[in-house]
Amino acid sequence: MSRKSVSAISKVAALIVIVVLIAASVIGLGAYMVATAKPTTIVITQPLIETKVTTLTQTRVQPGTTILETVVQTITTTPTTAITTTTTPTKPEIKNPNIMIEATIGEPETLDPAWAYDTASGEIIFNIYETLIFFNREKVDQFIPLIAKEVPSVENGLIKDNGLTIIFPIREGIKTHDGGVITPEDVEYSFERAMIQERDGGPVWMLLEPLLGVETLADLGNLSNPEDAARIGEMIDKAVEIEGKNIVFHLKRPFPTTTFFQILSQTWSSIVDKECAIKHGAWPGEKDNWLEVFAKYHNPEVPELQDADCGSGPFMLEKWEHGKEVSLIRFNEYWRGPAKIERAIIKKVDEWSTRKLMFLRGDADIIYVPRQYMKELEGAEGVRVITNLPTLAIDALFFTFETDPNSPYIGSGKLDGKGIPPDFFKDINVRKAFAYAFDWDTYIQEAWMGEAEHVPGPIPKGLPFFNPDQPKYEFNLTKAEEYFKKAWNGEVWEKGFYLEILYNVGNIPRKTAAEILKENIESLNPKFKIYIRAVEWPTYLRAMVKGQLPVFLIGWLADYPDPHNFVHPFMHSSGAFSAWQKYSNPRVDELIEKGITETDPAKRRDIYYELQRIYYEDTPSVVLEQPLARHYERDWVQGWYYNPIYPGIYFYALSKGYE
Amino acid sequence: MSTGLRTYVIRRLILLIPTLIGITILIFGITQLFDPVERASLYITNPKQARFAEEIIKKYGLDQPFYIQYFNWLSQVIQGNLGWSQSLHMPVLEALMTRFSATAELVLYSAPLIIILGIFLGKISAVKRNTAIDHMTRVIAIIGWSLPAFWLGIILLAVFYGGLGIFPPGRLSPWAEAMIRSGEFKVYTGLYTIDAILNLNWPIFVDALSHLVLPVITLTTINVALIMRVMRSSMLEQLSKTYIIAARARGLDEKTVIDRHASKNALIPVITLSGLLTAGLLSGMVITETIFEFKGIGYFAAHAATQLDIPAVLGFALFAGIIFVIANLIVDILYAYIDPRIKLG
Amino acid sequence: MKIKLNVEDSPRIKELKFTLKRIKETPLSLVGLAIIILFTIIAIAAPVLAPPRFGRDPYIIPRYGYFPEPQPPSPEHPFGTTEGQYDLYYGVIWGTRTAYRIGILVVSVSALIGIIIGSLAGYYKGIIDEVLMRLTDIILAFPGLILAMALVVAFGPGLNSITLALILVGWPTYARLIRGEFLRITSEDFVEAAKAIGCSDFRVIVKHILPNAIFPLLVVASLDIGAIVITAAALSFLGLGAPEGYADWGQLIALSRNWITGTADNPFAYWHTYTIPGLFLFFFVMGWNLLGDALRDILDPMIRRR
Repeated sequence: MSRKSVSAISKVAALIVIVVLIAASVIGLGAYMVATAKPTTIVITQPLIETKVTTLTQTRVQPGTTILETVVQTITTTPTTAITTTTTPTKPEIKNPNIMIEATIGEPETLDPAWAYDTASGEIIFNIYETLIFFNREKVDQFIPLIAKEVPSVENGLIKDNGLTIIFPIREGIKTHDGGVITPEDVEYSFERAMIQERDGGPVWMLLEPLLGVETLADLGNLSNPEDAARIGEMIDKAVEIEGKNIVFHLKRPFPTTTFFQILSQTWSSIVDKECAIKHGAWPGEKDNWLEVFAKYHNPEVPELQDADCGSGPFMLEKWEHGKEVSLIRFNEYWRGPAKIERAIIKKVDEWSTRKLMFLRGDADIIYVPRQYMKELEGAEGVRVITNLPTLAIDALFFTFETDPNSPYIGSGKLDGKGIPPDFFKDINVRKAFAYAFDWDTYIQEAWMGEAEHVPGPIPKGLPFFNPDQPKYEFNLTKAEEYFKKAWNGEVWEKGFYLEILYNVGNIPRKTAAEILKENIESLNPKFKIYIRAVEWPTYLRAMVKGQLPVFLIGWLADYPDPHNFVHPFMHSSGAFSAWQKYSNPRVDELIEKGITETDPAKRRDIYYELQRIYYEDTPSVVLEQPLARHYERDWVQGWYYNPIYPGIYFYALSKGYE
Repeated sequence: MSTGLRTYVIRRLILLIPTLIGITILIFGITQLFDPVERASLYITNPKQARFAEEIIKKYGLDQPFYIQYFNWLSQVIQGNLGWSQSLHMPVLEALMTRFSATAELVLYSAPLIIILGIFLGKISAVKRNTAIDHMTRVIAIIGWSLPAFWLGIILLAVFYGGLGIFPPGRLSPWAEAMIRSGEFKVYTGLYTIDAILNLNWPIFVDALSHLVLPVITLTTINVALIMRVMRSSMLEQLSKTYIIAARARGLDEKTVIDRHASKNALIPVITLSGLLTAGLLSGMVITETIFEFKGIGYFAAHAATQLDIPAVLGFALFAGIIFVIANLIVDILYAYIDPRIKLG
Repeated sequence: MKIKLNVEDSPRIKELKFTLKRIKETPLSLVGLAIIILFTIIAIAAPVLAPPRFGRDPYIIPRYGYFPEPQPPSPEHPFGTTEGQYDLYYGVIWGTRTAYRIGILVVSVSALIGIIIGSLAGYYKGIIDEVLMRLTDIILAFPGLILAMALVVAFGPGLNSITLALILVGWPTYARLIRGEFLRITSEDFVEAAKAIGCSDFRVIVKHILPNAIFPLLVVASLDIGAIVITAAALSFLGLGAPEGYADWGQLIALSRNWITGTADNPFAYWHTYTIPGLFLFFFVMGWNLLGDALRDILDPMIRRR
């Protein structure tokens, strides 16, 4: 390096510093001038109204349909403002007109409808694909025909044999994004392909249950055995068949029709264009060698339609920038007419502060607002918030009846004051004591800001056969003490105990619930010690799978809006959660199985009421809350409505503009 | 390149292989600390799927012995397949390549700024030792170094973007992204400022630049002390050497003494550090990338690490290893170039 | 306080006294020292300044309710509360202890490991050097923060994991440093002399070479304390550190992360949540950096006396 260059470097350095400073100031100044001056604000808050924006309405009782009760309940401690809009006299210019931007956390796992089980994937899929029938706007039990020409019913003759045969006439002329047309072959293909793929941990069990009577193909036989494979393949074939211009479903056993329709209205029942799918390497549709078919297409590591768009919905996939955003573009030849916006972009913005700033600047039209930060948007200009939306989710505290004796979370593993025995929770008195020690008021007021419901049993409010009069636990330390004294013949009270409650890092409501429980229980007896531990998801999963958690806090989000979808995971001996608990009550299993094969709503009602009663008496778990959700959008967003079962925003309904 | 240099370079590049193998074995070793169920959590994102843990473990071979898993991975890599990143839902190689441009653009502007500013401040500080200027520059640099990156970044964002509405997070504004999507703006390198020049598109150039201002300021503020400090002590060391005293005695003016002699020699350790710094920036800017929504390599790697996305972490390890070795190599070559006394090899 | 240089002192003591004298004379190092002493006092006096609740782990910050919204400073809570109603004053006071714990533990253990490995490599050279340096290379090649993250995920989040991870990631730098110094010094005459009179290797390393090689390490160590505390805070910020409610500055800043943009009408409504722990962190680190920077001038044999 020459001598000149060294002194030149210092000169250059000085110059660069000056240039950067000037550039920054110029850019900043320019942008600042461009950014509009803040207009004076007028805050318009609609007077305190006590009705909700959306309700699940009552429907007439018809054979085969179900009743939904209304959900209007006011929570007296917080004002139930329906809609709050803060507006300015000169409305800000709508940013990015014709593009709807949603900023949220998380991102889709896949675009393959047979694979997807998470809501992020579901949100994209239900915008680019269509199903035979779909929910009628806000209703979860009324349907409109989409790919099907008509919604089957007993009256129009499309439901036969006591609900075992259901016929869907297929609409003609529906164009697909790939340049084709939807035919009955595509419909048959979509369902058969899904059942063939049946990946571990996927949603297809919901199709298998009504159509084949099992939850997994493995229950029918061994797919690598030629005879079994052929037999199972034939069952799949017969379950969905083409008859002229119709598709016929043959159910294996009686199944409540509305529930079946709810399953058919969701993303795993999306209709896929067969030619397009085959182009992406999916099953070609041949049925002569089932052994080979299963070998090649069953439970793959990566699904064929992972990144593909073989749908016919109102939007097409424009680009999926992994980890960043998904952009959808309007499908102009959509059979119901083109959407009102040209593009929909779902951006992944994990950082709350950034998301919020984007929202306030108009660079995002709809955002996900974590409950704890609601306050930060209070009174913000141009923001519309809709509150108290009933969700179909239940969070509960689960007791493990037989913990792994080697679990690191049960202390000494004995009832010696330094731990708990693995079957600690088998004693009903312990469970009741824990239940009475939970302070719902504090929990709901402080952790949920009043926006949650205290429901008695595993069935959420708003679903059919929810029993509003079912007795439930209330906070009562006297009773808690009483039951603790009875527990294990008084040994619990005398010796005390130690156990650990784990929660998944970042889940604040669960942490709060654990702390409230700990505070209350420890206040009863100094020998009661509970340690609360934060762990990462991998550790939590491991502990759960290996049965090491003496208690676990977890929630269930509805797959479809039917009570069966809740009682099974909460109470059935092979249920998603109850199996971990090693809870088993044969009467319960019997009732649950009857419930899902019974088509008479009155009889179903009796069954589920009985189950809710047993839940309260047996207390295998304690329901903590059913959350109420909020929706935040800019006030130039029009057309949004709430359906609790939607996996995300249904962009076809939206437009951008001021009324 | 002379043949001596060429063989040196080749030799160093060949050394890359054992380093890479070493790194990847290290990472693989860490993964063995995990129980197969924990590793399955990458595929089980929802408690509803938890009951399929066994099946998923078998499906992805998560319970096989260490050497079998490593060997499988290695044989894939040799064929050019870095595997599938479950946390990003795309092939690892593609993930690395698409994310690299974001990081590269940040480093393109930060590294030269840090290095040049650091050298400048270090030199002034050394030459005017123990005067007010010296103290001031040192304190300023130390203040920068003492600021936690995440704190500074968020405050800058809150003040400028939150308060004034300028210098937004991310890489481009939505209207610019729309232009890219529609094809009006062609992406050649992935570094938007460069692409804007190639497209002769001034508005996007300004837009991309305005998104770079805050992260670059954050990085520079924090790292300039590093370079400044080394330059300063290196300069001080040179200035106390006998040859400088001799030069002064010979009557050379101060300016020549400093610029022609001392600075040149003082730069050697600075070069080492600059090389390591740039390499470090290229692979490790997790915090800055997270806060400013600059989805680059560092962010990707951190994300993959916390989700136990092993193929992604391994792919990243290869990438980091390569950068490290190449940076060291370039540094060593520059050494030899500057100081003929240093012989390579 | 005057430090007298006595002609009869052994060279070591003489140099030490000279060092102290120079420290006294350098304003920057005095400022740094003052800051450090202040924090040390806070750390020691923590139980008095912020008495813990009886029977509880003092590092768990007492919380006053479960509401998410942080409350501004008030007579009951001089620094206000964080998200989740943890008392901020208590948190930053005990957080000082946590900072010291992490900083000193990580730096001293990784320095120790680094010294052992570096001296072996630099003294014996040859194969031992090659192998050990390959090992350090491998760890150094991988970005430290990400490696630390992977380790913390493996060990489970928490301060002990962070400490362990940072030690494992940090020792190579010290090893490299010591090795470099050893390579330089081992060829010096006095070492040859020591060997010639029959000193054991161990004695040569510890009594002769190490005291001369240690200075750059001291400088790096003092600067490192600040860097380690920041890195630990960064890990807490990323959710891998101390659990929520633990008295740790990084964790407190993490809690403030989502409140930084304030409310609709007041962007600085929650200034106390990020400013106060941030300032504590900043000044702590700056104190050590000032001291370390000044020490660099003072201890460097080439520029010490000019």
